[in-house]
Amino acid sequence: MTEERTPNPAEASGESKAPALRLRRVTKTFRDGERSVAVLRGVDLTLQAGETAAIVGPSGSGKSTLLHLLGGLDRPDPEGSGTEVNQGTGGSRGEAPVFEIFGRSLLDLDDEELADFRNRQLGFVFQFHQLLPDFDALENVMMPGRIAGLDAQKVHSDARRLLSEVGLEHRLDHFPSELSGGERQRVALCRALLLDPPLVLADEPTGNLDPASGEQVFARLTELVERRGATLVLVTHNPELADRCGRIFSLDQGVLTHNR
Amino acid sequence: MPSDGRRRLFLGLPLVGVPSFPWLLALRYLRSARRDAYIRFLSTVAACGIAVGVAALILVLAALSGLHDKLLAQILAAVPHLEVSSPAVADRDEWARAASEAVRGVEGVESVHRIVRGQGWVMVDDLPLPVIIVGYDDLLPRSFPEATSRQPGLYLPQALARRWGVFPGDVLTVISPRSTLTPLGPAPRTRPLEVVGTFRSQAAQGGDRIAIPLSDARRLFGRSADVLEVSVTEGLDGAVAMAPEIAAVVPSAEVSTWRELNRSLYFVLRLEKVLLFLAVGLVVLVATLALVVDLALVVTSKRAEIGALGALGTSPRRLRHAFLLLGALLAAVGLVAGTALGITGAWAMDHFRLLSVPGQVMFVDHIPFQVTARDLTLVLGSTLALVLFAAWNGARRASALEPVEAMRR
Repeated sequence: MTEERTPNPAEASGESKAPALRLRRVTKTFRDGERSVAVLRGVDLTLQAGETAAIVGPSGSGKSTLLHLLGGLDRPDPEGSGTEVNQGTGGSRGEAPVFEIFGRSLLDLDDEELADFRNRQLGFVFQFHQLLPDFDALENVMMPGRIAGLDAQKVHSDARRLLSEVGLEHRLDHFPSELSGGERQRVALCRALLLDPPLVLADEPTGNLDPASGEQVFARLTELVERRGATLVLVTHNPELADRCGRIFSLDQGVLTHNR
Repeated sequence: MPSDGRRRLFLGLPLVGVPSFPWLLALRYLRSARRDAYIRFLSTVAACGIAVGVAALILVLAALSGLHDKLLAQILAAVPHLEVSSPAVADRDEWARAASEAVRGVEGVESVHRIVRGQGWVMVDDLPLPVIIVGYDDLLPRSFPEATSRQPGLYLPQALARRWGVFPGDVLTVISPRSTLTPLGPAPRTRPLEVVGTFRSQAAQGGDRIAIPLSDARRLFGRSADVLEVSVTEGLDGAVAMAPEIAAVVPSAEVSTWRELNRSLYFVLRLEKVLLFLAVGLVVLVATLALVVDLALVVTSKRAEIGALGALGTSPRRLRHAFLLLGALLAAVGLVAGTALGITGAWAMDHFRLLSVPGQVMFVDHIPFQVTARDLTLVLGSTLALVLFAAWNGARRASALEPVEAMRR
């Protein structure tokens, strides 16, 4: 894969100077009838292409919500939603929120465009692998390519090569139920990287694994991401893993602060 | 590598020309649906229900089409192709002569017979029996088929002659409801007429008919309206097409086609077919409801996977497409089996005459089954519409799932 790597869309489109992520005054409020809970209260975040960043914080601090917003799985509050914005973020009250990934605003995309964006620009690694039980390891890895409608033979050979890179060449036709936890997560890792996404989002990728498997998966993740020059955003409780990322942010009560 | 041979294939299809993503998902979920006991049970119920419903619909409509075809063939063999009713004119003979000539001049007209109609009675064994009396001019028209004689006189339907024990040469008294004033007061008009022959009895003609010479009918009914019975060389369909042309040559008269003359019969036959279609169609409807539940169960059991697919970039539109295909595939088994069963069953019923009826009482000795393209289109079209509705319901549920919510276990 490495030798044949194609430039990521941000590079290819000449937008390499645009930051990978640019978030300003992003808020997210969950509403249930009369009650509303502000989970993110004015998040500012800028990451350059190729950076690795860890977001740490206690449970319920909004880490996963922020990751879902970054992944286009959820939408931030629209402008003027009335959510109280943390005044320490530097923005002034009434200023419109900014939510850009590689210079493209996610706020303007409809459902179909957002789905295409997730498919082509993002790679997800979840805490629970989220593999499809009806498809074997190779088919699972091929899935983003099949969704994108790419040439099946190329997708097939890329998926095989990736699985070989993570040491699973002997597990190609094994279904998820026939794999160990570490193997499943490595398959999920390959799936996330199949289309060489410029942004990889990982939500506690080792949280469900024993220390040895977790270390193996994390090492593979950082190695593959760095080799592709992709940007990595990692959500974790594990301070050791966070420490191995280039930048560290902490999220507490909906407010993001830059630690390193 | 043990999987090498298999890797050349994807879902049993070569990598060149692999199925599109929605097909891939639908086919794989169809396979996995067979592994879950509840889903398999519901899928079986839905498929069997659709098969039974479709087969029953095809059989019922085939039986009705066969029966209606026979019935109409028998009735329409003896109905006038067209009727031209006289307007209110002073000289009816002159109108009938001129109109007959004008109609005969139209290309494609085979024959024109002048008749009058009225209601009356025939005295049989001192009992007046109600009949429709038709007065004919010269020869019996088309609506009196298989006449056993060409002499002028009284003609009775075969069945009636048999029932009454009347034979050619017997004299019967025909009575008109019109009366004649006599010194003793008003008395009904009567004519003793000799039976000269019989004709084939017809069902559903609105009562027993007898035919008498026009001159006798005139004496019985006086100045009743004249009708011209027109036969054409192009048959029933040709008659309908020729009606405007004939109406043009007799502008003051009213022209009715065989279709208009038998409108109520057509209505009843069609109503019968529609009602039976709706009643038997309920089986398909119930089976479709099973399919709705089946797909809802599939969506619920695949909830987390649908969420994961959404996170990987599957758009709601493509998810809808995949689940529509899944619903169609689940129903296709029943649809194909039902169609095959229905067509084969109808053929066997007809070919081996499996449903026999007493020929003496009915006009057929077995129930004929006739599968028509129109009936088949109706059954398959309506079933497909119901199946697509059910599949759409499941597809909508699947595509409406929010990936984040769906992935939460």
